[in-house]
Amino acid sequence: METKLGDKFEGKKRVPVEEGLFHQPQATGEEPYLIAAKCKKCGFTDFPGTPVCPRCVEPGTMEEAHIGKKGKLETFSIVRSALPGFTSPSIQSYVKLEEGPVIWSLITGVEPSEDALKIGMDLELVISKVRDDEDGNEIISYQYQPVKGS
Amino acid sequence: MREVVVLGVGMTRFGKHPDKGLKELGTEAIWNAVEDANIPPKDIPIIYVANAMGQQLTELRGTIAQHVVSHAGFMGMPVINVENACSGGSTALRSCILEVASGNYDVAMAVGVEKMCIADTARSAAAMAFGTILGKFGFMFVGLYAMNLRRLMEKYGLTREHFAKVVVKNTKNGALNPYAQFRQPRTMEEILNSRVVSDPLTLLMCSTMADGGAAAIVTTRDKAAKYSSKTPITIAACELVSGTPTSADAVHVPIETRASRQAYEKAGVGPEDIDVVECHDAMAPAELLIYEELGLCGEGEAGRWIDEGKTEINGVVAVNPSGGLASKGHPVSATGLAQISEIVWQLRGEAGERQVPNAKIGMTENAGGWVMDDNAACAITILKK
Repeated sequence: METKLGDKFEGKKRVPVEEGLFHQPQATGEEPYLIAAKCKKCGFTDFPGTPVCPRCVEPGTMEEAHIGKKGKLETFSIVRSALPGFTSPSIQSYVKLEEGPVIWSLITGVEPSEDALKIGMDLELVISKVRDDEDGNEIISYQYQPVKGS
Repeated sequence: MREVVVLGVGMTRFGKHPDKGLKELGTEAIWNAVEDANIPPKDIPIIYVANAMGQQLTELRGTIAQHVVSHAGFMGMPVINVENACSGGSTALRSCILEVASGNYDVAMAVGVEKMCIADTARSAAAMAFGTILGKFGFMFVGLYAMNLRRLMEKYGLTREHFAKVVVKNTKNGALNPYAQFRQPRTMEEILNSRVVSDPLTLLMCSTMADGGAAAIVTTRDKAAKYSSKTPITIAACELVSGTPTSADAVHVPIETRASRQAYEKAGVGPEDIDVVECHDAMAPAELLIYEELGLCGEGEAGRWIDEGKTEINGVVAVNPSGGLASKGHPVSATGLAQISEIVWQLRGEAGERQVPNAKIGMTENAGGWVMDDNAACAITILKK
């Protein structure tokens, strides 16, 4: 369900799950990234980004950081139960990003089977659909998918 | 600060109560505790009430504490609303302890009450998931537990059989608990063959939503002797912490470890002194993580502990003699005070068929919520005979 540039759906809108979490490519050659925050003083990085570093607890030390293009699968579960409006099964995971942070994410682009998922496998960031909302809009989000050939 | 003791405890049966709302459940728990404490109700000068979901799931839109206690006949005194996800009950208790320890009041009552089994339980599930911003992505708490357990499988070679053994133990205990939602002992086969909810977790490994209430009344040792002939149970520690940032460049100490270290220090005891534990196993196999986090067993020893029956009622340290959350049911804000009730009964020797022999020191671990990749709260209480 990877997003292709220039996709157009008649009457359907693609709505980010939340504003300010990720960058969706607008032009060919652009890559998606997560909008995180990094502390200029101690290097602490968090996603979603917070305005104050929880380690330094000083105002003005956090700056926007673009991270998360690559990561490794740290742990996962194939969840066979879902809230109304969400699909089941879903692959829920923790991904260790190249830049350090370990973040919660859905996994896409792979069969929901234990054989297809290996802890430590290489993952890449994609922006793709999480679900359709009540008005038929596509709710899109950052997700990770296995790097082909890894 | 003055020494504080538990004078009385009480709870409702946990489970589906189609005929009871928050007010009725709270009233039943309150009056069970009042009766257990043998205290004239007018001697209770302050009440803290924990509830997490009432505003989302019931017709009440605020001041739930006052709605509940006035239904039980308590009006006029300070009444405080507490919300701290699944840790709400222990959080209310902690405030009551401080009221009495500080000398502000001689008696205080903590109540936890939750109504989750409504007509549309999908709303209850959503209310849980949307306690974190990840709810928007389809986050499920069961998946979180499953992922943490998978880490344990990878790290120490634990298997699904180890997980099922925890459920065998806890359902055996829960069958002996008249307050438990599920009272049927389960076999390894039944547990492993039940539907996979979030691998490696199966249906019978997971707690369910429930309705229920629980309450505890605390006072000073001198006052306790005035009211009741029952053994007063000393509160040696009741420590509450919130989550800490996780980062690649530093070891993240689990929230349960931080809270329990603080509690052991305050109580002047170590994990080896604990006879009985009620822990927050919203998915029963999580007990194995908690053994280690509380320091009950050493690193990587949890599998051997369950294999050797060390946490059975007659083991080295009994864990979840009540049946734990998966047998007892998990009405979130009531859970912490139900854990306290169980430990009080165990230390008094009133736990009937599930009595832990010679229990002198007990502990509860009550964690809740999920914020920035750690639990939102964790409370550890150590009680002594």
